[in-house]
Amino acid sequence: MSARARFQAIRSLHMNRVNSVKLSKTILAADCRQQVSQVKSEMQFLNTDLSLSSFTFLKVLHDISGLISPLFQSFRRFRASLASARQHLIIWQGTLKEIGGRFGTSVLSYFLFLKWLLKFNLFSLIVNFCFITIPQIVHAPNISSITGFRGLELLTGVGYFNQTVLFYGGYNGEVIVSKPAYNMQLAYFFTVAAYLVLCGVSLIYSMSRSFQKNFVLETGPVSGGAWRLLCSWDFSVVNAKAIQYNKNNLAIQLKVHTCSCLLHLSLHLLAWLLSLGLALGSGAGIYFLGTDPELAFSFNHDPSDLGAEASTLLLPVVVSLINLIVPLLYSLISKIESYSNPRTKIYISIVRNVILKMSILGILCFYWLNFVPNNISVGCWESFVGQSVYRLLIIDFIFCLLGIFFGEFLRNVIGTMCIQSLGVPEFDIARNVLDLIYAQTLAWIGIYFSPLLPVMQVLKLFIIFYMKKISLSMNCQPPKHTGRAAQIQTVFIALLFFPSFVGALSMVAFTVWSLKPSGQCGPFQGLDTPFHIIFNWTDSLPENHWVGWIFENILRSELFYYLISLIVLVITYFLWQITQGRKQLIKTLREGIVNVSAEIVRTSL
Amino acid sequence: MGGTSSKLPKDLLSEYQELTFLTKQEILMAHKIFSELQDRENGPYSSRVSMEKIHTLPELKSNPFRKRICHVFSTSDMKDGSLSFEDFLDLLSAFSDSATLEIKSHYAFRIFDFDDDGTLDARDLEKLVNSLTGETDDTRLTGEEMRQLISNILEESDIDKDGTVNLSEFQHVISRSPDFVSSFKIVL
Repeated sequence: MSARARFQAIRSLHMNRVNSVKLSKTILAADCRQQVSQVKSEMQFLNTDLSLSSFTFLKVLHDISGLISPLFQSFRRFRASLASARQHLIIWQGTLKEIGGRFGTSVLSYFLFLKWLLKFNLFSLIVNFCFITIPQIVHAPNISSITGFRGLELLTGVGYFNQTVLFYGGYNGEVIVSKPAYNMQLAYFFTVAAYLVLCGVSLIYSMSRSFQKNFVLETGPVSGGAWRLLCSWDFSVVNAKAIQYNKNNLAIQLKVHTCSCLLHLSLHLLAWLLSLGLALGSGAGIYFLGTDPELAFSFNHDPSDLGAEASTLLLPVVVSLINLIVPLLYSLISKIESYSNPRTKIYISIVRNVILKMSILGILCFYWLNFVPNNISVGCWESFVGQSVYRLLIIDFIFCLLGIFFGEFLRNVIGTMCIQSLGVPEFDIARNVLDLIYAQTLAWIGIYFSPLLPVMQVLKLFIIFYMKKISLSMNCQPPKHTGRAAQIQTVFIALLFFPSFVGALSMVAFTVWSLKPSGQCGPFQGLDTPFHIIFNWTDSLPENHWVGWIFENILRSELFYYLISLIVLVITYFLWQITQGRKQLIKTLREGIVNVSAEIVRTSL
Repeated sequence: MGGTSSKLPKDLLSEYQELTFLTKQEILMAHKIFSELQDRENGPYSSRVSMEKIHTLPELKSNPFRKRICHVFSTSDMKDGSLSFEDFLDLLSAFSDSATLEIKSHYAFRIFDFDDDGTLDARDLEKLVNSLTGETDDTRLTGEEMRQLISNILEESDIDKDGTVNLSEFQHVISRSPDFVSSFKIVL
């Protein structure tokens, strides 16, 4: 059969679905009728004495068959309407579709990432609220606010908020006497631990799924011209100018690039040195600012001194300024370099920004964990850390809004009216996603110190979604270097897991494991480390209780961990060997295909 | 007089919903747009819309493959690329969100097959490259670059080494590119 005839056959079978509507209807009715007549003949063959009842049975069957055919149809229609109703319930579905259609899939990936982060924070909010906050509010209201509510609290988090359930200090570790006794200490510990473990599992799952889809299957000779040509054209972009940009970019990528000479190498080295130097400088600056004793704890002494309180905002403002300015400097630095591949440029800028942000966060965590707990003048050091995180998040949010206004709106005005050559600003996906990751890292760090912090994060993400969408429609154009959105998506998820979540988790783990909780406030007052409540709890359990047994003999014994590591290593080795074997199989099959087709050509001649 | 916008009967709507990958809103929107295109035709009521009218749609206006798309989805006997309403629905269904990878790759292959012979040979690939890189002089590839590029592509995707890319090889390349499903999309 010629290729053309083959196409026609496939088409008439199942591709041209619309034109086969009449066919499906008659088939269904005929099928039903056939089944009914079959049953009828079988009944007659049985020849029962109860002929009247068989007659009514057959009549009922016939009536049912008359109902079945439209029943199937209405069931199908019900399923379709259920699917469309579900689409309405999923939050932001219509908006996301519109964004994807107008700006392409890589911009859409930013908004999908935002939605995903929102889910994490909503879950954390619900869990914390139900298990920790509500029992605390209901059973032991602990509000001893020294000062009344002033407006500055929203920014600094101290004063009125100091003793509320917003921060660690507002919880106490009593065992609430009710029908099943509710141990607040255990509840606090396990809620935070369970949430972090679930987050980790979810992140690992998403990361491995994404990695498998987007990286592993790409091995082999697909990374080259064939892919770019055949799969990369984005049909969903309709703007003529954007299409022209895409065409130009594709042409540039398809042309062969040469020249990796010494000059380029030395420029790269210079750019890297400058970037790392800037990151180190910012880290050192924040360190000295943070440990400046005059700024740090002055507010603790005099709660009614507004000026001292406002000075606590200095550190977050400096951090946000660094986060704003240094990436711009990085993009200036990257202009002196030249890259053969625009994707390499994006990856390198992502790496540099991540180094900057993580070094800032690292310095802050180091300061919080080393200096604050030992300082006597701070009353409740966990609340202090919670308040610092709160301030950082709020100021970051304000700067984000300012950034939208100045960075995009004003830039658009300048680009179109004053300096025509600048043009409309591009929507920089990498920078925006890294900002989201930074904020989420702060939220994860702050979960132990301030259980209701997700409230702010949820509000913040909601507002940012709508502001970014409006700004996108009014001010920006889609980024020029699209393509490989799926791979960059994997990189972002991996970044969210590796420096961000792992860092936050290790900080919380270090706090719980080895730091002495403050003696006057919080659910863990009086213990050596918060982890000791587990010891106390297992001690208080009756002898031979299974939880105690598991804890003593499995989780605390080193032999268990050695065995587990050994088993995991052996399994990894086996899986690696299987992969190698499969690669060999693929190679053999490819050679087989070539041989078979050569054979066919030879025999047909 | 004003446009005679006929309403789509309900049973036809539900049938179209079952047989295509489109939702109800998308089918209604498609019907509205198609009726507007029909109303602009000067002649008597004709059920097919010519290719030029389809090309005035904003989604297809600047698409480099608009001619091929119309040819592929048209069931007209005169091979002029005109589309009936059901052809139009077929088009939107293949380019919709929920269409499967198989259908999309099948239609992508047919769109890229400029000479309709069932395989992508060097001439098809050359036309493909030219339509994707633009027509200005500095973006057009030179003859030498074109030959090098096409031989690279054939080396990578031609598994049975017959000098052309057939449907299975094309689908093999597509299946390893996770971006394809999301970029092969046209939304009204």
